[in-house]
Amino acid sequence: MSALERRYRHLLRAYPADYRHDRGDEIVGTYLDLADPRRRWPSPADAADLVRGGLRQRLRAAGATDLIPGVRLAALLALTTAAFLAGFWALVEQNPPPAEAGLPVFGPFTSTGIVAWLTWLVAVALVLVAPGRPTRVAVAGAVLVTGAVLLVSPVAGLPRPPLLVLVPQVALGVLALAVDAHLPLAARTLPTIAATIGGTFAATAGNKLYWGSYRWTSEQLLPAVGAVLLGVALLLAAGLAMRRDWRGSWAAVALLTPIGLLSVHILAGAVDGLSGAPRPTYPTMVGAALAVGLLGPLVLPAAVALHRRRQRDGAGQLRTTPADPCPTCGARR
Amino acid sequence: MDTPLREPTFLILTALAREPMHGYAIIGEVAALSDGRLSLRPGTLYGALDRLTDAGLVELDREETVDGRLRRYYRLSPSGDATLAAETERLRRNVEAATARLRARSARPLVLRTAGGLA
Repeated sequence: MSALERRYRHLLRAYPADYRHDRGDEIVGTYLDLADPRRRWPSPADAADLVRGGLRQRLRAAGATDLIPGVRLAALLALTTAAFLAGFWALVEQNPPPAEAGLPVFGPFTSTGIVAWLTWLVAVALVLVAPGRPTRVAVAGAVLVTGAVLLVSPVAGLPRPPLLVLVPQVALGVLALAVDAHLPLAARTLPTIAATIGGTFAATAGNKLYWGSYRWTSEQLLPAVGAVLLGVALLLAAGLAMRRDWRGSWAAVALLTPIGLLSVHILAGAVDGLSGAPRPTYPTMVGAALAVGLLGPLVLPAAVALHRRRQRDGAGQLRTTPADPCPTCGARR
Repeated sequence: MDTPLREPTFLILTALAREPMHGYAIIGEVAALSDGRLSLRPGTLYGALDRLTDAGLVELDREETVDGRLRRYYRLSPSGDATLAAETERLRRNVEAATARLRARSARPLVLRTAGGLA
């Protein structure tokens, strides 16, 4: 066995053991047929292809083939939500608190958040005109800039939006990275429409709503946005499930983390006790955000494991109806 | 499997329409059919073949071992044949409609539209 074959076989561990046993020789043989005879290491693209193929096969073995399309649907909803918020906050940034308030500002803007919101709006424009790699690069850039605003502003002594605003935006952005490269035009216009609505809403509500402050506005706006996102996800899940299409259900599960982070103020308020308007303490808010941020991403693999268990009978075999083909060879029983 | 098919799926079925093929040959045939634009990788190809097999569009034809490497040959099933034919017909109608429109457009004299008419 050559070094290259041994390395391909090592990467093949991304696939489930039974699939590897059945198809491993065929897959590795095809990679070797395609490889330059002088090559000793799999190319990064081949390695990514094998890992991606293995993940898909594990989902397929768990009967969760709708998961990847579901995450892509969640990514579009996340991007649309992030676009709405970027449009809204970009307008808020243009109304800094008056000088007599003595609060720090960032030039003519409320805070360094304006840099993040503008990069988000660039990403939103790219979804419309250049889907695929340029969009993913722009979304990744927006996530990085948002993270940089969060981390660098305090060091530089500049005002930034509160964590309550920036953390859910990063979570939405991470999920949005999975956005489909082949979206139809109607779907690609959604983030642009959402950003326009967000900006229009901020402009219509006027400074009397937010009076140059993120704090009060974010406490009102973000849980409402989280509730709308949850409602849309559940409606989609129910509507698609009526056609035995489980993408919506997976999308709802994938969206739990950003929805939880958008609603962290309410969650922390519930922890601290709901006597009147929730005014959770800062440590409770941080604790709630950490709990959502750490536990939320575990819900998806847990749901896959649960789904897999439900799909299998007591002997560990995949449950199929008489009309279902064999999941490996496709033969009808 | 619903139409319209995605391009890689359409080209895999088109490749298999000629004769049963193994994975390496399908990759080469898809690249040739797309003028080198579409380069499938094995992980992607076998995932697609699994889905097509599940959907009943592709079947296992036979297995061979060549130079110590296992090769499985896949063929188009009757259902795959019908799906490919339906998709080809749909694309043909689209191409015909677009061609007719473009031909009519190039035959028509160019008319300049001005906002308030010519003074």
